[in-house]
Amino acid sequence: MAGKEEFVEADNAEAIITRIEHKSRKIESLLKLFKPVEALKTALEGSPPKTRDERCKSANWIVVHRAIMAIKDVDGMFSTLDPEYYDILMKYLYRGLSTGDRPTCDQCLRIHEKLTEKAGLGCILRALADTVNTV
Amino acid sequence: MAAVAVHQFAPCITCHAWSPDHSMIALCPNNNEVHIYRSSQDKWERVHVLQKHDQIVSGIDWSPRSNRIVTASHDRNSYVWNREGPEWVPTLVILRLNRAALCVQWSPRENKFAVGSGAKTVCICYYEQDNNWWVSKLIRKRHDSSVTSVAWHPNNILLATTSTDGKCRVFSTFIKGVDTRDSKAGSSSDSKFGEQIIQLDLSFSWAFGVKWSPSGNTLAYVGHNSMIYFVDDVGPSPLAQNVAFRDLPLRDVLFVSEKMVIGVGFDCNPMVFGADERGIWSFVRFLGERKSSFSGSKYGSQFSEAFGKFYGQSKTGVSNDGIDPSRSRGGIHENCINCIVSLGEEGSSRTLRFSTSGLDGRVVIWALENQEDLSEYL
Repeated sequence: MAGKEEFVEADNAEAIITRIEHKSRKIESLLKLFKPVEALKTALEGSPPKTRDERCKSANWIVVHRAIMAIKDVDGMFSTLDPEYYDILMKYLYRGLSTGDRPTCDQCLRIHEKLTEKAGLGCILRALADTVNTV
Repeated sequence: MAAVAVHQFAPCITCHAWSPDHSMIALCPNNNEVHIYRSSQDKWERVHVLQKHDQIVSGIDWSPRSNRIVTASHDRNSYVWNREGPEWVPTLVILRLNRAALCVQWSPRENKFAVGSGAKTVCICYYEQDNNWWVSKLIRKRHDSSVTSVAWHPNNILLATTSTDGKCRVFSTFIKGVDTRDSKAGSSSDSKFGEQIIQLDLSFSWAFGVKWSPSGNTLAYVGHNSMIYFVDDVGPSPLAQNVAFRDLPLRDVLFVSEKMVIGVGFDCNPMVFGADERGIWSFVRFLGERKSSFSGSKYGSQFSEAFGKFYGQSKTGVSNDGIDPSRSRGGIHENCINCIVSLGEEGSSRTLRFSTSGLDGRVVIWALENQEDLSEYL
């Protein structure tokens, strides 16, 4: 299975990165329109699944990071964010917390608190236990 | 209240099993012995201590019709205990394992039992009349890691196993001379011993606690990532449902009816899962009373301390070292529940009572008769 994945990647890595660049432009335009939640949803959607390629993951992380930092109203965000995004958002929050960069960590902690209230400890468990689909 | 009785037997209980008439309980108090308690007028007295294993007894099962106890231990051995007069007489079963035995279960017809082990194998043991001893046949292939739980299908041939490699597998354990080929049944009778029928790759983390529904139609197992998996039509094209839930992972499950599953685990409180008319499973509610759920107060203080660390302040006065004095969440069990056993009739399709035991050393008996909101699932 791992072999098959590498093969799929060599082909698709470039395609994925192009897709991420498209997403990035879309997100910038959404942020200009003051729609941070939509931007976050776009960023989280289609997160590279089962990619081992670090470049794809980093590229997607940059895009998600931009969207996360643009969020000002955390409670409001949760009222419009669908529950299907909770697990993937939690994974990105932990990636953000691992950077150690002060503003990023502040923002991630703020969102983490509310996300845990909303989604429960199970969400954290799923983000930690899944070592296959990492972000 | 769903919990009808709470008994404290030991500081910590590894596993337990009930006698056929539910008057005696066999449990391992986290050491190498098995203690059997009998209840008499509301008190429990210890009537037997089975001492043969050298290390912790990880699994106990008590067969309802033949009244035999099988125990499996980390010392790589298993004993079958037969009642002879006032004593329990052990018979060693040579499992041929080089790692600990982790779980054991009698088959529905009680002529075989399965032992899952850390040696990535499952031992199927049956009694050979001629030599008067128990023979073990190993399923060596397929598992990539420890086998944490085993469960027998009602047809006495199929065995489901879960493993720490995250997969749930179903094997055929047909043994010539012990099992009879069912002429009218389907593929399960045609398989040979150790043949893998299906492998379910639904979980990315360790899998525990597999059980079949009373009819054998549905399979349920849990993953360590706070998910529970339900599989219908176990065969070439199974229908799987992944149910993610809010709280801490489960360790064991029990089917109380075709449409209701009780899961127990690190939340110290049994969780009820039910299937609606379309067959879609979802979390219904907790069975026991909950202490106030994670309200802002406990969390808020933990996070403000985290913020405090970030800004280099030290929080004075608030001793919040993360170990709350009231560690208990469910109130009834105070620590992880790791074993759930049915207290119903053998082979019936619905159970109204079951017992749970946990790391807090308590055995709690639960009854579902008075839970009206759950009656639609039973």
